[in-house]
Amino acid sequence: MLAIEALTRRFGDFTAVDRVDLTIPTGQMVAVIGRSGAGKSTLLRMIDRLIEPSEGRIRFEDRDITALKGASLRHWRRDCAMVFQQFALVDRLDVLTNVLMGRLDHTPVWRSLLKLWTGDDKAIALSALELFDIGSLAANRAGALSGGQQQRVAIARALVQEPRMILADEPIASLDPRNTQLVMDALLRVNRDFGITVLTNLHSIELAKRYCDRLIGMKAGRIVFDGTPAELTDAAVTELYGLEAADVIEIPSAADPTPDEIRAAWDAARAREPV
Amino acid sequence: MPTALPRLSDDRLRPLAAAYATSLAAARTRIWIGAGGIVALVLVSGWFAEVDLVRMFGRIGTFTDYIGRIFVFDNGDNVGRFVLVAPGEWMWGLAHWSKLILETLLIAYSGTILGAIGGFVLSFMSARNLGRAPLMRGGVKRLLEICRTVPELVFALVFVIAFGLGALPGVLAIAIHTTGALGKLFAEVVENIDMKPVEGTTAAGGSWWQTVRFAVVPQVLSNFASYTLLRFEINVRGASVMGFVGAGGIGQDLIEAIRKFYYADVSAILVLIILTVMVIDLGTERLRHRFIAREAHA
Amino acid sequence: MSVVVQTAGHPDGPISNTRRVRSALGPAARAARPDLERQYPEIFAGSRRDRLTTIGVVVGLVGLFAFALWRLDFSFARIGSGLVQLAHFTTLMLPPSSGTVARFWLFLNSLGETLAIAFLGTLAAATFAFPFGFLAAKNVVPQPLVHFFTRRGLDTIRGVDTLIWALIWINVVGLGPFAGILAIMCSDFGAFGKLFSEAIESVDGKPIEGVVSTGGSRLAQIRFAILPQILPVIAGQVLYYFESNTRSATIIGIVGAGGIGLWLTEAIRTLEWQQVSLLVLMILVAVAAIDQISARIRFAIIGDRRLDL
Repeated sequence: MLAIEALTRRFGDFTAVDRVDLTIPTGQMVAVIGRSGAGKSTLLRMIDRLIEPSEGRIRFEDRDITALKGASLRHWRRDCAMVFQQFALVDRLDVLTNVLMGRLDHTPVWRSLLKLWTGDDKAIALSALELFDIGSLAANRAGALSGGQQQRVAIARALVQEPRMILADEPIASLDPRNTQLVMDALLRVNRDFGITVLTNLHSIELAKRYCDRLIGMKAGRIVFDGTPAELTDAAVTELYGLEAADVIEIPSAADPTPDEIRAAWDAARAREPV
Repeated sequence: MPTALPRLSDDRLRPLAAAYATSLAAARTRIWIGAGGIVALVLVSGWFAEVDLVRMFGRIGTFTDYIGRIFVFDNGDNVGRFVLVAPGEWMWGLAHWSKLILETLLIAYSGTILGAIGGFVLSFMSARNLGRAPLMRGGVKRLLEICRTVPELVFALVFVIAFGLGALPGVLAIAIHTTGALGKLFAEVVENIDMKPVEGTTAAGGSWWQTVRFAVVPQVLSNFASYTLLRFEINVRGASVMGFVGAGGIGQDLIEAIRKFYYADVSAILVLIILTVMVIDLGTERLRHRFIAREAHA
Repeated sequence: MSVVVQTAGHPDGPISNTRRVRSALGPAARAARPDLERQYPEIFAGSRRDRLTTIGVVVGLVGLFAFALWRLDFSFARIGSGLVQLAHFTTLMLPPSSGTVARFWLFLNSLGETLAIAFLGTLAAATFAFPFGFLAAKNVVPQPLVHFFTRRGLDTIRGVDTLIWALIWINVVGLGPFAGILAIMCSDFGAFGKLFSEAIESVDGKPIEGVVSTGGSRLAQIRFAILPQILPVIAGQVLYYFESNTRSATIIGIVGAGGIGLWLTEAIRTLEWQQVSLLVLMILVAVAAIDQISARIRFAIIGDRRLDL
């Protein structure tokens, strides 16, 4: 369980995240929604300690995340994987090495620096890639892949960290609709099959409603909405987005599966194919 | 409890791992061949250049000894004491040396100006995209190549014989070398410009020179200025050794001090040169940032 | 309307040409000029101010140049007689010749020595400068003092010309090519340290963040996020320096640090002009060959990207 208390971050005079309180039980798939600049990204980055909080506390089970340093901080980052909007892969390295980066904190320093990964690590990385149907790309350079493929590599990297939780910072903002679905499916799969908590920033309310169990709405650094997709009424959206509301509410077409249908399809797929 | 990732069965894993290994094998072989080539070259060069590491390590003490020695007075009242004890005595020739440093800077400056003008004119003639006759372009390219390949000191040696001792051969030597170096860089800048304005100016009825003036020069000027400043920095260094062959500047006094073992003078002149170079570097760096900022602004 | 008028009637306009037949626009615009000047004073005054700045800069540059010529005792008489001399030398240079065959082999041998000096000097400099590049990079060592002193130290070493280093090393290891290698190593050490640190500072931060987010240590960040990005850049820079060092290695022979420069100096001092031209020719060919090879290797390593030097 992740518990955040009065978390605040200021940049000069500007308060990006303002006394946020939040509790996320293990295994939830949560979307953080809101306009750009609402503090969503800062919140996620603080949880992975890529940005230092100005005030407040983050706890994960019995660990005080805000107090971690050195090796214990690296252990936390291993347990809490992050997926970035711009993928954050090393373009010049091959895909498998990029995924194996997720094993860094499982591997002795000297072995990792010489790229002496164990056979086990390689097997895990390949399995993760194959999980997202990109095992055949293992030897390609990461920079040569399409955006959707790169993001799946990034999710595979997150997965081989064997994390408790995955943070995804606008994972689909740089992708086209088809890849958007592939990547969101991948995240959902990580959540449903492995019980990993997923906390993701999303710009699209539709996607958030379709894929997530719980939505958290942020505005000017504060949480102004916290509830299930069903509870997010048009009025709440207008409250969150103001004049932009019309842009983010899409009229669902008949062809789009409803959230329940997606979940049902997943459950069926899982029943068919034991992993 | 960390999440355990399911591992694929071995028979599904094996082809994937094998495919990965074969894809990397080629790259790995290339790296080994490259490394082997470098090692072989090192051995051959080492043999050619009479590298003697034993002698090197045997005498490494001499090097530190030398560095230590130039910072200690070798005669006068303060023999054997650190030079900063009596900075006045250490810098006894300051007035004379400052004059020589000024001369060095002026040699570098006038050489750079002459060279920049030469490079400026020749670069437009040798740029591929400005439609000059191929024969002339090739000729100018070769000329620039000769100018920058023959080291400026060689030019200086010849010029000292032709023009006599003094700063003149130094300036000319630097000017010729700078023409070659800047001409090439300038031509590259010109070849990378946006050609649409050139078309526009030509379409408006401009002559070749007018096109260069209004469509090309505005695009390249800040880059040219930045390269010229960089070259000036390099030329200050170059001018500091012109005196080694009698072509003016501080070099004459430095080589004399080194050859005649005036240890404290060596360090004094070196410190002056290094300080000058640093000040020039800082100044030009600041100017270049301003050019670049202006470029980004435009 | 006014925009059109200004373009057509602007005195600096690229297409203004008095001999051309004018449309009625020209006279109309000239008649309207006082009004236009009142309406857009900043346009007419602005161009004047820009022009003054330009003139100021040019006058400053030319003035300093004139001062330099005066201070350095330039005289046209000297330049004239020198040019005559040069022309005379040039005729004496043809055809290039070494005199004897044995001497030609000597030349060739010392050319090989020159290449060896350039190669080993560059390689040694790059090897030693590599760790210092990291030390001097702000994003690896965020400690401003360390950064400052490393940078200044590298600058100091860089400020001393190769020839001066050669003279110093001759005092240590004696005359010969070994001193030349050490000289090139020293002066390039400073340059490489600076270039490497700049390359490291300009790496893309996203991969670093990616490695941090997996729990990677500082070493892992360098190894997996920084190194793959900078290695091709560094390789390109080292090759470029090897090219330019081939040029500078030809002159360190002037002070006795090995290579073909020794023969070149000898030939110039003894006025053996045919030998001079042969030696220069040999250097040109060698440098052109090295340029070709290294350009090809560079292309293979970094593709068509232009070097940031």
